[in-house]
Amino acid sequence: MDKKMKPKSSEKNNLSRRTFLKCTGTIVFALGSGCYLESGRRSKGNGLKMAVSDGYLLVDIGKCQGCISCMLACSLVHEGVQNPSLSRIQILQNSFEKFPDDLTIEQCRQCEKPACVEACPEDALAANVEFGNVRMVDKEKCTGCGSCFEACPYTPARLTVMEDEAFNRELKSRKCDLCASAPYHWHKKGGGPDGKQACVEVCPVGAIVFTRKLPVQDGDQGYKVNLRDENWEKLGYPAPKA
Amino acid sequence: MNGYAGKILYINLNTRSITTIPTKKYEQWVGGHGMGSALFFDLVKDKTIDGFNPENAVTLMSSPLCGTLVPSGAARTEIQGIGVQSLPIGWFTRSNFGGRFSAMLKYAGWDGIAIQGQADSQVWIDIRNDDVKIRECAPLNLWGTDTWECQKVIWKEVAGDGVYGDWIKANEKGYMTTQRPAVLAIGPAGENLSRMACLIHDAGNGAGQGGFGAVFGKKGLKAVSVIGTGSIRVNDPKALIEARLWQKKHYAFDLNNLKLKTFSLGFQGPPIPLTLYRQGRPQVGQRPQACVGCHSGCRGRYEDGIGNEATCFTSVFYYFGKTLLIQRQAADLLNRYGLNAAEMFVGELYLRSLRDNGIIGKGKEIDCPLDFKQYGELAYAEQLVKAIAYRNDGKGNPHSFGDILAEGFVRAAEKWGRLDGKRSDLKTGRLKFPSWGLPKHKLERSQLDWGYGTIFGDRDINEHCFDMLRAFPTYYKRYNIQIPPAEQVVKIITDKMEPFQGDMKMLDFSTENMYSKHMIKLVTWHRYYTRFWKQSAQLCDFRWPDFLNLYALDKVGATGIAEPRFFNAVTGKNFTYLDGINLGKKIWNLDNAIWSLQGRHRDMVRFADYIYTQPGATPSGYPEYMPGIRKGKWDYVVTSGRHFDREKFEDFKTRFYQFQEWDPKTGYPTRKTLESLDIGHVADELEERGKLGRAMA
Repeated sequence: MDKKMKPKSSEKNNLSRRTFLKCTGTIVFALGSGCYLESGRRSKGNGLKMAVSDGYLLVDIGKCQGCISCMLACSLVHEGVQNPSLSRIQILQNSFEKFPDDLTIEQCRQCEKPACVEACPEDALAANVEFGNVRMVDKEKCTGCGSCFEACPYTPARLTVMEDEAFNRELKSRKCDLCASAPYHWHKKGGGPDGKQACVEVCPVGAIVFTRKLPVQDGDQGYKVNLRDENWEKLGYPAPKA
Repeated sequence: MNGYAGKILYINLNTRSITTIPTKKYEQWVGGHGMGSALFFDLVKDKTIDGFNPENAVTLMSSPLCGTLVPSGAARTEIQGIGVQSLPIGWFTRSNFGGRFSAMLKYAGWDGIAIQGQADSQVWIDIRNDDVKIRECAPLNLWGTDTWECQKVIWKEVAGDGVYGDWIKANEKGYMTTQRPAVLAIGPAGENLSRMACLIHDAGNGAGQGGFGAVFGKKGLKAVSVIGTGSIRVNDPKALIEARLWQKKHYAFDLNNLKLKTFSLGFQGPPIPLTLYRQGRPQVGQRPQACVGCHSGCRGRYEDGIGNEATCFTSVFYYFGKTLLIQRQAADLLNRYGLNAAEMFVGELYLRSLRDNGIIGKGKEIDCPLDFKQYGELAYAEQLVKAIAYRNDGKGNPHSFGDILAEGFVRAAEKWGRLDGKRSDLKTGRLKFPSWGLPKHKLERSQLDWGYGTIFGDRDINEHCFDMLRAFPTYYKRYNIQIPPAEQVVKIITDKMEPFQGDMKMLDFSTENMYSKHMIKLVTWHRYYTRFWKQSAQLCDFRWPDFLNLYALDKVGATGIAEPRFFNAVTGKNFTYLDGINLGKKIWNLDNAIWSLQGRHRDMVRFADYIYTQPGATPSGYPEYMPGIRKGKWDYVVTSGRHFDREKFEDFKTRFYQFQEWDPKTGYPTRKTLESLDIGHVADELEERGKLGRAMA
């Protein structure tokens, strides 16, 4: 990839103009109030402690076939439309690159200490107890300020901030909720850690799996795993190098 | 209009105007080919023009399914217009490519693009959601780049200050995306108007047939780039994901229970890169790579980056390359310089034959600058590719060889005097271009659906609907692969061939049945199904239809049920499988009307001479098997080694036209037939041009 996953720089991100303006306005207000960002838990910068999520998505970037079916399934069950920009999981690829650097999958990590939750000035982001402490956006509270997007330490940010037709086209943040709050979910049990995740179910090659075990938080190794087994090798794919 | 963006982009390069056509105006044609044919009919007033005429319209169409979760139905782009490759007339023709282009086009808010006119300088089209610009090539030095370099330069340009790997803005008003623009580009072959120039998107998605690379080149159009961040509305989101998971559960491959380990064709094919390199599949690290929404990728990306996304004909182009590495590098040359792999493959074998017989070479009957001492090395393939792409000697020096060959192998053979007299290369079969001056693909005297479909159409059909009927038994005999009995297979398939279902003799490929009324029905059904479900709804040819499926209950695949289930989940049109077949009939009739307006007459509809005299043989020399009735029983029978009979084919043609309700004396459509299909305006134009067929008695 052109840019490996790395901690986000302090550079202004490519938010839409409206998002950026709104975000800027929020910061000005916060600074003007003289308290919000400089007081309480959000100012510590050590990461917010909260109950860990009961579920995580793990991916194998060497097995993925790049069909982006996961992205299409994600936007479909959450938004009722087909739009990769609205997907909570992102496949990035470059068809001229060498395998395996031609493709990566970037999914929300449901961080143990989620910077996005910590950054939200409206308490719109929180561990949802009803759904196994998955880090979820409460769109009723979300003002679309983009603080969560800015705060996400990963590239690309694992959240999107876009207009939401269900909220009169106001800007709203979205992030992976393991399909807990997916209005178009197909399964009677729904999603979340105890249900079905659309990306996992739809992936044709099993390159995305769900786990309840907290992955190693440092680096990528806990989240980007090897899911290529002997059946994959039977298709003639050379075994991954150690 | 669920499944649609709602508007079609119309660009006239003469005036550099950018306007919009409401998709609603053409909604009755659904999308893809049907919509493209209807647009072409309206835009091009004089259908007799040459493909290089500026008034030629090129359409790039998506379908309601593009960009959605429909398996192997979300990624194709149908391209149409008057081609420059076929003989004796450059037919109104089609090509098609996969990847990301049509999906991205719809995310940008467009159902298709129609391009007419000719720019007075070299340009590219830059689409970023609703922002569309015709931009000069010069500031980016795009003209002269190969297809890969061109795309990379445009990617960088579109990203602006953004960096791929992060979110970037598509345009000021649009959302953000992590995706690169989808770019369709020509290479040097297109710039230099080679009639076998193609269009390339990403590393290996090629629109090969028709010479559309040259049509782009003549228009001064180097590339079309599109990036979009909008949404496609779906009629019933829950029904769509339910359908996708139903398909996965009952009809797709199961990695824990593989039924097919070697084939990558067919709906249940596991994701194996479809490479035909003579020396096998690359043994380097690799992944299968799939188009948008596909459940079963068919090409690969490799650890060494060589041969990325090359598949099928492209990977077999340099058949006698000495090593696998050389064959893969040669495949990349085709994609980068933008040449049609089928014509290059068959043509290269023709040159080899001429060389082996001492006809071609330096100072020989055909003066040729190719260094045959390098045959098998990459240098030979590179010189050949460059000679055609640049119309020279392949090393940068002027030479008539490349200039002549850039016109295509049949035109070159004619120029070299190889088509004169009794020993014409099209009589002996040395030049294997059986229909319309286009290269051989399948054995048309064996796979009759393929041969007839091609000659009654405009191009090598390249439709693999029934290819498993050859592949399974042929490889079964050679490799002892277990396959179901012929009678069971034929019954499963013909039961799905509405409205002719139940006529099992449609799939009797025995010599006795070559010219029967059942064979007419097979060819007719194939034209109708593919014109709609494959080329208009744009289900992928490599994965659809799902006839015989080793995972399904009683091996009965999903075709007939799956197509409308997916289509209706997206569109809500309450469309039936048969509705699609019937719309395919209408589209097929419109196409034939356009060919008639171009000058087609039944007397032109004939194969190259060798097809009537030379027995069909496979390249490997092994016999070919297909289902057929032998001694009153179904079996897999040998279908290679036979040829067509001229008189019997002419009689078959007459009866085929009668079955289509066209004038059997001319092949022209009749008013009654066209009006019954609600396209009476097409009959009006035919009548005006003296091309309307007489009604049958």
